[in-house]
Amino acid sequence: MDNDEFSTPVSASRSSVPWSTSVKRDSLAADLERDPQLSTAKRKQRTQAFHSQMTFASLERQVASLQTSKAELEAKIREKDAVIDRLEGDRRWLSDREKEEREEKERERKEREEEKRKLSSDLRALRNSFQALRGEHDDLQDEYSNLKRQSSQTIATQKADTTTLSRQVALLQDELASVQAIAEQRSNALEELQLQFDELSEAQANTSRLSSGGGTEEDENWSIVREELHRQANHLRTVETANAKMNSELIMLRHRNTSLEVLKEQKRELEKKVSGVEQLKEKVVRLEAELDAARQEREDWASKSASTPSVAVTQSLSDLRLKYATLLEENGSNVALLHRREKELEDAQERENAFGKRIEDLEAEIELLKEGLTRAEQRASLAEREVGFQQAMLASFTAEETHDGVNTSRLDDVAKQRVSQLESLLADYKATIAKLESEINDLTGDLSSTGGDRRPRVEIIKDLESERHKREAAESALRELESTTESQVEQIDKLEQTLFELQGEIGGGRHIPPGVRVLSLRDNPASQWEDLSRKALERVKDENEALLKRLKELEESGVRGRGGNGGQTGEDEELVPRKSWEAAIQEKEELEEALKQKEKRLIRLKQVFSAKTDEFKEAIASILGVKLAFYPNGQVRVTSQFDLNAAFVFQPTKPPSASSLGKSNSEAMTMKLVAKGEGGPEELPQLMRYWVEQEQCIPCFLASVTLECYEKMKREGLRPAV
Amino acid sequence: MAPTKQAPTRQAITLKGSTNLVTEFFKYAANTILFQRGVYPADDFHMVKKYGQTVLVTQDLALENYLDKILKQVNKWLLTGAVTQLVLAIISKDSRVTMERWVFDINLVEQEQPTGASGSAPAKPESEIQAEIRNILKQIVSTVTFLPVIDEPTVFNILAYTSESADIPADEWVDTDPLAIEASKSQQVKLRSFSTDVHRIEAMVAYRYEG
Repeated sequence: MDNDEFSTPVSASRSSVPWSTSVKRDSLAADLERDPQLSTAKRKQRTQAFHSQMTFASLERQVASLQTSKAELEAKIREKDAVIDRLEGDRRWLSDREKEEREEKERERKEREEEKRKLSSDLRALRNSFQALRGEHDDLQDEYSNLKRQSSQTIATQKADTTTLSRQVALLQDELASVQAIAEQRSNALEELQLQFDELSEAQANTSRLSSGGGTEEDENWSIVREELHRQANHLRTVETANAKMNSELIMLRHRNTSLEVLKEQKRELEKKVSGVEQLKEKVVRLEAELDAARQEREDWASKSASTPSVAVTQSLSDLRLKYATLLEENGSNVALLHRREKELEDAQERENAFGKRIEDLEAEIELLKEGLTRAEQRASLAEREVGFQQAMLASFTAEETHDGVNTSRLDDVAKQRVSQLESLLADYKATIAKLESEINDLTGDLSSTGGDRRPRVEIIKDLESERHKREAAESALRELESTTESQVEQIDKLEQTLFELQGEIGGGRHIPPGVRVLSLRDNPASQWEDLSRKALERVKDENEALLKRLKELEESGVRGRGGNGGQTGEDEELVPRKSWEAAIQEKEELEEALKQKEKRLIRLKQVFSAKTDEFKEAIASILGVKLAFYPNGQVRVTSQFDLNAAFVFQPTKPPSASSLGKSNSEAMTMKLVAKGEGGPEELPQLMRYWVEQEQCIPCFLASVTLECYEKMKREGLRPAV
Repeated sequence: MAPTKQAPTRQAITLKGSTNLVTEFFKYAANTILFQRGVYPADDFHMVKKYGQTVLVTQDLALENYLDKILKQVNKWLLTGAVTQLVLAIISKDSRVTMERWVFDINLVEQEQPTGASGSAPAKPESEIQAEIRNILKQIVSTVTFLPVIDEPTVFNILAYTSESADIPADEWVDTDPLAIEASKSQQVKLRSFSTDVHRIEAMVAYRYEG
């Protein structure tokens, strides 16, 4: 069958053509042979052929025309394309324009925002300046009060100084007067002495003239005496000059006193200036008022600014700025004034200091003068002693003379009389010298050192030795102590170093001291940042998950779309390790489920626990008559059921776990009492003293308190508060 | 809990006054550190005159509120003597590593109250205290010269070291990690201290240093 089908068309087509030709030939042949009717048919055939030829030609013409029209159409299409291209270009240009416009708008908006920001920053700056002004005003007030206080202090101190100085001056004057009186006494006495001496020397000269033997020796003695007298006279003169100097000093001191008066005057002036500062204060108050007004205005302005922004705002702003500038100026002038005042005060203080120094110098000088005086007095006493010695010599001379007179028998009665007179004079001298010495002693009063020195010198030396030994011992002890202190200082240094390192440990947060909690505010910037980043992470995770899902969808659709393209699908699977990813997700879900269950169990356990604790508390309340409240820091509050005012707080000292206080008696509890009023305060102190301090048994204490409270409640006819 | 002492002498600073002084100091110290260490942008700060010098104080409302909240609580703790240390920790935003810890030790000054008025030392004048505070703030500013440069975004946290028995508002304050710096990379510098008649504040900065 198949073969037939395959063969038939080809053979049929091929065989048909020769058949047709053969038919035509047959017909032609027939034409020649048969009747002319056949030729008409032939003509018909020919016309038909011609027709067909004609139609063919027309068809060809039609084809040609169609081809031309097609070409025309193609040209048209090309034109259209060109037009489309141009239009597209136009569109692009327009879109560009649009984009530009949008950008411009954006820019303008930014500018507006910039302006807004600038305005707000201006506002902020103004607010700042206002605050700064307020601060400055406060500072000014402070400074002003300080100045006032300082000036009053200086005034008080200066007054005190002047009073002391005047007192000192009076004292010094008294001293000077007394010293002058003494000096005058001395000079009188000395003059008397000199007169007597002159007389004596004359007598001596007479006697020497009388007595020719041994005259030269006496002359020499007399010359010594005279020299001595001269020396004394000189000494007297120096004392007088000292006196004169002291007088001049006194005058100077008086001058100083007057200058002190001047100082007082200046102080009064300063006080007046301080009163001027009061005016300044008023000014400050006015400034403050102005500031307040400015603030008001600014607030007004702020409220206005929401509604009418442009001109009024700028005007008020400029006004405010102007005011601010003027305020600044005033402030500057005030500051300058203050500075000037401060400087004046400083000057006054300096002057005062200088005066104080001068006073000190004067005091030192007075001390020096006093010392000079005592020295002069000592010298005078020495001189007087020497005079006494000379008198003794003189007495011996006269004795010798009398002896000589007896031996030689040349003595006159007159001479004898003279000698006796001289002797009496000498006795007078001695008496006056003794008197003067006693006076000097009274004045100086320094005999004790010489008197005490003479007798126990050995003892004193011994004492000195022992003292020296003691001193040496003390010095050695001191050296030892110094060495120990040095070593201790070294140790301290070392310890300080270790302390610094340990502080670094604590400062670095690596060590937390025991009994210390580290706390931070729950809502702090670090945690906020953490939350923020966690949120971002979660968002990214979500996005990732969504993307993965999308990828999966795409992959699936891609596999379907591309059909049998095996290489492509292989690559897609490599993009995401799908299987492990899904396994991980599943694992995660399982774990989350487990966690939820665990949490649920925990919550249930907590509930059970709280129920149990409530039961426990109730049991304790009903059995012991005491309510317990546990604080998170380990403290326990105990309240008596019968008297809610009797409450005690217990705190376990060492182990924080030992919250139950019933059993462990040995544990010393630090205890604080919050008992108020009726909660058995009559016996409470005694109970506490007995049970807590002596017996250290807190359960017994609580039991007795419970008993007391119950009885009290019964007495008052109340019911237990449950 | 140590019993709160009463004002020892008539002229001396009271516990409350000292507490307020210390709290105020913390405010300005924290602001100075946050400005100097660049934890917040410099634009957020404005100048305020305090302790006789200009101090920079933040204008960020959230930060202000945070500091106020902390300082109020610290004030309460100071009155009861419950707080022993305050720490301002600066933490890197990216790595969560603690860069610096500014530590302020708070010590109560012992006072020999029973000896009577004759034995107690004269009260410290407030000007002297202010001078000490000024010196600390200046030193904080000067630490910028030796502390390592921080060139990454940071965030800070304030930790309070309190005694275990202290009263703590449980819903606001939580126990937290001490934000330690590991020992091998930690350096510390002791700063100045200041004291009132009641408190003594010792400042210190521990910082992370790798090099």
